[in-house]
Amino acid sequence: MSLRIEPADRPHAIRLLVMWVILSIIGIIAVLQIHYPPYDQTIQGEDQSKTLALLTAMATPVFIGVVMMVIYSAIYFRRATAELVDGPPMLGNTPVQVAWIGISAIAVLFLAFVGVTTLASDNVAKLVNAPGRSINTGGQTGSATAAEQGKELQVQVVAQQWYFTYRYADYGGVETTHLYLPLDRPVELHVTSLDIIHSFWAYEIGVKADANPGVDNVFHVTPQKTGSFTVRCAELCGLWHGQMSDTEGKVVSQSDFDTWIAQQQQDYAVIQKAVPSYAPFYFPEPTVKGS
Amino acid sequence: MVVPNALSDRNLSFPTGLITGIVLAIPGYFIGVWTGNLFGLFDDQNTGVILGYAFAVIGFLVGLGFLNYPLARLLGWPVTAVPQTVEERTWGRYFSLSLDHKVIGMQYLVTILIMLLFGAIGAMLIRTSLLVPDASITPPGQYIMLIGLHSVMMIFITSAVILGPFGNYLVPLMIGARRMAFPRLEALSFWVVPPAAVILAAAVFWGGFPTGWTGYPPLSEQAGQGMDSYIVGFVLIAIALVTSGINMLATIIAMRAPGMTWTRLPMFVWGIFATAILGLLAAPVLATALVQLAMDRTTNTTFFVAANGGSNYLWENLFWFFGHPEVYIFILPAFGIIMELVPHFARKPLWGYRTGVVGLFGVTLLSWFVWQHHLFMSGIAPVLRPFYMLSTELISIPTGIIFLVTLGTMWRARIWFSVPMLFCMGFLFNFLIGGISGVYLSDVPTDVTLHGSYFSMAHFHYTIVGGEIFAMMAACYYWLPKMTGKMLSPLIGRIHFWWMFIAFNSTFFPLFLLGILDMPRRVSVYAANLQFLNDWVTVSAYLLFGSMLLFAGNLVYSLFFVPGIAVANPWHARSLEWQVPTPVPAGNFDRVPLIVGGPYDYGLPNAKPVADFGGLVGATGGS
Amino acid sequence: MAHRIDARDAVILTEAELDHRVVSVGAWLWLAADTFFFAAWWFSFFYLRALNNDQAWRPQGVGPPSLGFGLVVLALVVLMAGTYWVMSRALYGSFSFSLLAPVSLVFGIAACLFQGFGMWHLGFGLTQGGYASVFAGLTGAWLIQLLGAVAWLATVVVQGRPSGDTVVRPHSAATFGWILVFLAAVGVINYLLLYLVK
Repeated sequence: MSLRIEPADRPHAIRLLVMWVILSIIGIIAVLQIHYPPYDQTIQGEDQSKTLALLTAMATPVFIGVVMMVIYSAIYFRRATAELVDGPPMLGNTPVQVAWIGISAIAVLFLAFVGVTTLASDNVAKLVNAPGRSINTGGQTGSATAAEQGKELQVQVVAQQWYFTYRYADYGGVETTHLYLPLDRPVELHVTSLDIIHSFWAYEIGVKADANPGVDNVFHVTPQKTGSFTVRCAELCGLWHGQMSDTEGKVVSQSDFDTWIAQQQQDYAVIQKAVPSYAPFYFPEPTVKGS
Repeated sequence: MVVPNALSDRNLSFPTGLITGIVLAIPGYFIGVWTGNLFGLFDDQNTGVILGYAFAVIGFLVGLGFLNYPLARLLGWPVTAVPQTVEERTWGRYFSLSLDHKVIGMQYLVTILIMLLFGAIGAMLIRTSLLVPDASITPPGQYIMLIGLHSVMMIFITSAVILGPFGNYLVPLMIGARRMAFPRLEALSFWVVPPAAVILAAAVFWGGFPTGWTGYPPLSEQAGQGMDSYIVGFVLIAIALVTSGINMLATIIAMRAPGMTWTRLPMFVWGIFATAILGLLAAPVLATALVQLAMDRTTNTTFFVAANGGSNYLWENLFWFFGHPEVYIFILPAFGIIMELVPHFARKPLWGYRTGVVGLFGVTLLSWFVWQHHLFMSGIAPVLRPFYMLSTELISIPTGIIFLVTLGTMWRARIWFSVPMLFCMGFLFNFLIGGISGVYLSDVPTDVTLHGSYFSMAHFHYTIVGGEIFAMMAACYYWLPKMTGKMLSPLIGRIHFWWMFIAFNSTFFPLFLLGILDMPRRVSVYAANLQFLNDWVTVSAYLLFGSMLLFAGNLVYSLFFVPGIAVANPWHARSLEWQVPTPVPAGNFDRVPLIVGGPYDYGLPNAKPVADFGGLVGATGGS
Repeated sequence: MAHRIDARDAVILTEAELDHRVVSVGAWLWLAADTFFFAAWWFSFFYLRALNNDQAWRPQGVGPPSLGFGLVVLALVVLMAGTYWVMSRALYGSFSFSLLAPVSLVFGIAACLFQGFGMWHLGFGLTQGGYASVFAGLTGAWLIQLLGAVAWLATVVVQGRPSGDTVVRPHSAATFGWILVFLAAVGVINYLLLYLVK
């Protein structure tokens, strides 16, 4: 299937192709210099950053190409005379169309492939409402022995109007107001809600999971650098949705984590007795309508 | 045959019209409220409010005269399915139940532009509130009300902004028909829109509703009476989508003039055809979801209550099964406009006519299979996400075809960069960015950061405002000379375009950055370091609003202060709507035209004129 | 660009033929939309049943109202659609036409009355779980459409006198039969789901 480029097309095509290649190379190099969130505090976050970089690198030549065509047309294909003259009667060019559609299909399928493989490696597929692991009620301080390393830390994120709390299944279900995660240990987050739909978005660690009442939404994350992160609600949940944030999330070393969680268990010992026992989700009293 | 204004051969004894409609709506509302409270359900008056709105709308429609035909049938009076009357060309018919598709198109145009003004004011208030990182300008309750009203008003508008005015006015003209298939249904599809807007605005009296346009339960069940405005208003829009869908499709299928084969159909009509399919089939699903929400809020059923056998995912799935085709309802008419206008201004045939049609229908078909990309982070079964990621990525292929066909039409053309053509170019730039950002959102790993953030806001404002509204502006500048008999000032038009284009990009591009920098949607507070960007966006938004005011000024100036009638075909275009005189006569064509050429046959040697207007007597398109 | 005009596209239709075609197309379009409407309800049924959140899809004591009663309503609707269908095949103005049209209307009115009575005596409350909610919503939506159809059917019967619309435009009246058949079919599916599926 020949590409059937007429002599009149050739100078335009060559000009455009050369400009496009040069500008695209410059563009791609430029966009790859940017540091894309969610940066590299977690393994999953790093994969997400790489995907964002890949998308931007692929979008750059597409953007440059189309904008260039529009501007080029405005300069070179403009009506030259005041009177209205018809252009050349070109009805189509099948090889060109097939090439365009084919290339866009390949690009898109490639992106889908990369997306799926990244997703598969970052998130072990688990059905919603699958029962969580049994609670380690004997969770003690310093329980991160060598035997514990490699097992996923179970953390439940409980959302309600209008704050997040966190329960550590392996530590007696202690409920805390800030999220601390130990370094280098895979974490299995179980996100649920007590009332309406919220969304747990921890920006720097690359986590977003909706909190639904009666649902246990699982998200996997493995921190690989210490630091702090911000938690925000990302699903409109009423009046104070914008204020439903917490800037004191932290990834800390294992020993700091053990100290912290022991302190939490001590501080909240009295409250723990009144709080319902740890479960995949909770059904508090029915929601009362506002007026 | 000229008969005095009558919808049946015998008139009901009271006058019908807009005034009667409003007069009947008011007692209708109170009867509804009283009936609702009769049931005494334990629901904070929601039944009363919903029935009140419903009865008010029924009273309004009865007052306009919609009951006349069914009532005449029931009483055994002689009726005609489609009245053969010629309406008197007075101003009054714009305020009454007119069966002339051109009148309905103008009614839509004015109504939509007024609604657009209110929606835009809402946006200005929102942006003003975001000048500061805290909630000091607008308290959270008011802010959340503003978001809901702005977003839902805009959704109502953008569902109909091209289909309503331009679809109704132009489709019969472009296919050589003298009327639409179902004039009463067409009128109904318009006359439910003003009540929908009024009912939505009435939410202000209840303190608005807290859910934004997506209406997610259980928050929407927790909400006060303002939520009922959302439910009833949206049901009315669903009715408008279904009735206009039936009307458009039946007209295009059954009433094309002889010789108007499918391969000679203008691209604008193909765009409307595709849109109508989506509207017809998706809106009923929305209606189901809204009925279920109304039942949960009134009779305390448990469709969406997880604690009692329901699930919030039921709403999410039903809503987005409608919601995704809905956004293609926004953009398909715009695609149709771009592919329609560019050949006429490039003076070249459309490059790849069949490819363009395939692109439109590729988008239409795929739009049914992607809805769960709105639910990637919602906790759906993880195994579903790769499928929807793939289907969403695939939909960018037919979308790209639109660009392919348009750029190919411009290749080596002799382009006339008129104001409508400028807006088409603006569309290409804006929709390119909007479409590419959609690919970012469709990729699940990146969606983790981008979902529910300002990136998502930027994406849909680029596609809807930068895409659909720019196309609408192109349509206004292009077709208003035919519809109103006046050319809009090209000088003001050019200033309008550049001002709007620059202000638009300045407003919405930084939103991508804000989303990437951890700013969620629908918040009135944000991190202090984002204030500079937010202030930049707000000032640009004010400028964007200014450009819209300039457009309004151009309309008023050109329509009322410039003398003279526009010529019948100022753009020297080949399509059929330009071959009739301005103002367009009552039956569009004296005789049914015989179509002998395509609308884009520029530059072809021996191209026939598009139609032969003499000599055919018959009924295709109406007698 | 040379086009050959499709024979069908070159035909000039009379007003009656055009009306015939437009009404047929419009009816099918309406039925397509209505199919999606009911499909959304059927989806709700299966989805909530599969999730069975909090074991509350169908708590103890919640079950379909009397199977026989539901069958009576269904039979009435099928009879309504059936008689109308037969009537629409008859010659307009003939004896069978003038007999069957009102009979169809009577079946329709009876069906509405029975179903309305049934909805008032469900045997369970609407707050009692997912099944109860779907039952009430699906049956209620179907009943409302049935009421609208019966009202239109009444106008068809009234317009059945000599110069009435039904006789002047028989195709339009015949096409309405499709809508009645559709509602009857939906009634059958609803019965299967709501009364027979466990």
